[in-house]
Amino acid sequence: MKSWLSIAALAAVTLMVVFYRAFQKDPGSLREVPFLLKGKPAPAFAVTDLQTGAPVTSEQLRGQPYVLNFWASWCGPCQVEHAAVEWGARTYGDRVRFFGVVYEDTQENAKRDLTRRAVSFPQLWDPKSRMAVDLATTGVPETYFIDASGIIMDKYVGPIDREALAYLVGRIAPPRAEARP
Amino acid sequence: MIALALATALMLGDYAPQKMAEEMLPPEQEARVQRLGEQFRCPICQGLSIAASSSPAARAELNTVRALVREGKTDQEIRDYFVSRYGEWALLSPKAEGVNWLVWLGPAFLLIGGGFTIARTLRGPKASTAAAKAPAAPPPAEEDEYLRRVREEADR
Repeated sequence: MKSWLSIAALAAVTLMVVFYRAFQKDPGSLREVPFLLKGKPAPAFAVTDLQTGAPVTSEQLRGQPYVLNFWASWCGPCQVEHAAVEWGARTYGDRVRFFGVVYEDTQENAKRDLTRRAVSFPQLWDPKSRMAVDLATTGVPETYFIDASGIIMDKYVGPIDREALAYLVGRIAPPRAEARP
Repeated sequence: MIALALATALMLGDYAPQKMAEEMLPPEQEARVQRLGEQFRCPICQGLSIAASSSPAARAELNTVRALVREGKTDQEIRDYFVSRYGEWALLSPKAEGVNWLVWLGPAFLLIGGGFTIARTLRGPKASTAAAKAPAAPPPAEEDEYLRRVREEADR
């Protein structure tokens, strides 16, 4: 009888430890998904401009740093970060190219969403999300920072803010040395 | 009123992930896509494969599996594609190699250990019962006088 109680107590303690560890984790956290492309060349892509239909390829962007911001019209957190990304495009647009990439959405909804806010940078259409998965996205919003040599320097998961954006842009395009008087 | 507003918003499609039109492959290839999809972990779900989840992320990955199958990639090449991006985390069943053997063999060891413990526990009381039922040892020649008289009284 005593040994049965010991076994039951051991099992109960084990279960408590397992549940305690499991409930400590945030099931919605995307930061746990490993990202193995950091520091590696960005996979080649060939998509189109959402508004004009003109082709946009990674080959065209060779030699210049750029930012890819994945978003969707149905994504609440994307609405939150739009202002910060737009600020980034206006502030750093002279040394870094900014692109929005529509993720798992319809052209109609994405275009309607764009009419509701000011957007100064091109939006790309990735119809089957091949570009997104090639770049190892895990959802939206996610923002990629790719340097002039085509290396993925960073990926930011979740709605980005101005501070993070400024820091990560600095990593792919250091500010030019100002001429001192 | 709130329900009506929510229903209207959903009907407008602004707040629901949109289902993209998917070009299915011939049945045999589509079955392979689903079989492969069951091997990969959905990035935003808990313990679900990309074939079982209807989330946009899972749908995007399954579409990519479909594209890779269409391109003629082998199962191993498709597995390598996902592992090179998300690591082994992408696989619902880790590869049976190196430290991963612990995951594969751990349950078997636990089962054997548990069975052994249960067997020992069950055998324990039997042994003590058997001991209790064993015939009492014959009284030693020089028995305590008091005990001898008690036994005699009890035998009457």
